[in-house]
Amino acid sequence: MRTAGTIALRELAGYFRQPAGWIIIALYLLLCGVVFITSVLVPGRAASLRDFFALSGWLLLPVVPAISMRLIADELRSGTIEQLLTSPVSSLSLVVGKYLGGLGFIGAMLIPTIIYPALLFAYSSPSPSVGPMLTGYLCLLLLGSVYLALGLLVSCLTSNATLAFMVTLFAMLGVLFLPMAAEVAPPRLASVLAGFSIGPRVVDFSRGALDTAHLLFFILVSSWLILACAAVMEVRRWR
Amino acid sequence: MIIVEAIEKYFGNVHAVRGVSFELAPGQITGLLGPNGAGKTTTIRMIVGYYMPDRGRVLIEGKDTRTAGAAARARVGYMPESTPLYSEMRAEEYLDYRARLFGMKRALRRQRVATVCDRCGLGKLATRRIGALSKGYRQRVGLASALLHDPPVLVLDEPTNGLDPTQIVEVRALVRELSKERTMLVSSHILPEVERLCDRVIVMSGGRVCADGHPWEVGRGSATDSQEYVVECRLGDQVNEALLLERWARVPFVQSIERRGENRGEWASYLIKSKAGGPDLREAIAAGAVHCGALVRELRRVEVSLEVVFSRLLAGEDARGGTGEGAAKP
Repeated sequence: MRTAGTIALRELAGYFRQPAGWIIIALYLLLCGVVFITSVLVPGRAASLRDFFALSGWLLLPVVPAISMRLIADELRSGTIEQLLTSPVSSLSLVVGKYLGGLGFIGAMLIPTIIYPALLFAYSSPSPSVGPMLTGYLCLLLLGSVYLALGLLVSCLTSNATLAFMVTLFAMLGVLFLPMAAEVAPPRLASVLAGFSIGPRVVDFSRGALDTAHLLFFILVSSWLILACAAVMEVRRWR
Repeated sequence: MIIVEAIEKYFGNVHAVRGVSFELAPGQITGLLGPNGAGKTTTIRMIVGYYMPDRGRVLIEGKDTRTAGAAARARVGYMPESTPLYSEMRAEEYLDYRARLFGMKRALRRQRVATVCDRCGLGKLATRRIGALSKGYRQRVGLASALLHDPPVLVLDEPTNGLDPTQIVEVRALVRELSKERTMLVSSHILPEVERLCDRVIVMSGGRVCADGHPWEVGRGSATDSQEYVVECRLGDQVNEALLLERWARVPFVQSIERRGENRGEWASYLIKSKAGGPDLREAIAAGAVHCGALVRELRRVEVSLEVVFSRLLAGEDARGGTGEGAAKP
């Protein structure tokens, strides 16, 4: 798994070497700024980032596919995947490395948003509670992790980065609309759809509730998607 | 040592590689030849572990690519065709990254990167961004990357592709030097290149091996129906040309005799073709000339170039309908 770390570091550095990485960060910070001004910085309202975090699923919508689309698709398009798959690196190490690189980038992208809680602490009275902010950031990271794993899986399936972006975007939209689908689905299917819904979990996190079931859900779904990516890469060798 | 045992590969309904077998020993450069769609790249990709064979197996230094994939891949240095690289990285940074993937420690990495940069003539350009390098230098980075972990097996797909004549000579010399202690497989479609560089050639067509041997053997073995001899001799007044031609025509296996070009004074040149499977006719031709009193100035067997052999082999495969299905690459 040491090779996964090597791949992750190269991947992370790769984002910052290209304008696309900086543009993605700028786009995300712009969206965050708009949400902060319109939903948090409202005179008379209690100092809380609850709405900000509750909207996090939508904020990540255009950003994560842009991060994940090039992870494997770019390697497939340029042919550099041949160099990777003919080195003594397992398919699992390869996808874990790619995933960690992308997750590191999401983490780096979130760092500048710390200015928003800092502003609330500096100017609001009474000061906001720390708990919901910590769970909110944890939620953003976990949500980003699931979306990234989903995008990574799509990226494994095509060498066309644009197609990977579009399919990931629609898959993420599908996940976000699961609660609505659950409302109209037959009862049995509704319970399954509700179980996979992300929205209610995000709301819980933004309230400051750290539910281990939610935590496990995000970790297990991400892990399952990563394993599926490794399986797809292995199938490429054997197809 | 590379052992390829009856490997087969399908891509959907396309039977790309059909029961290919060969063994490659260290200290030898083997050329893999074939037209586009012959199954060369698929065979190479199965050897380097990028694809797994559907049937048969590949052993690299005794390690099966199916059951001990990582160990087999760790023993192969591979330079793919068109040398895909990360253009945003600096050359030495890329080589360091590759060395990390092969599990090298920091001190060894530094030493190996410096060694391969020196060996492949990267020099000061090793600090440049790969995207800013010329195709020839990118090719060198690819070769350096293949040599990084000092592998006992080297597989080079079109190693001189895109290089200028000086670089071709340098790479050829480097490949020869490297082959002394390694098993080398070189794929190329430049036939004179293979003739000059390789000790052995394997010709593929339609997913099968259609010839295997020394370039010269392959040339002779498949061209037994067209052995040709050039004779230049002085006829003078005493020599009866008709008698001489009749004498040569009586030599077993002689198929035809042609006079080449115009008379140059009393000197005449002939092209004698033999039938399939015949022995070396030079002695009999010389004896016939001496018997008729002709003075021989030149007598040589025409060496069939690999290009001629190649086109004949492929024509034979086409006649058997062999190239149809293998002409697809994923």
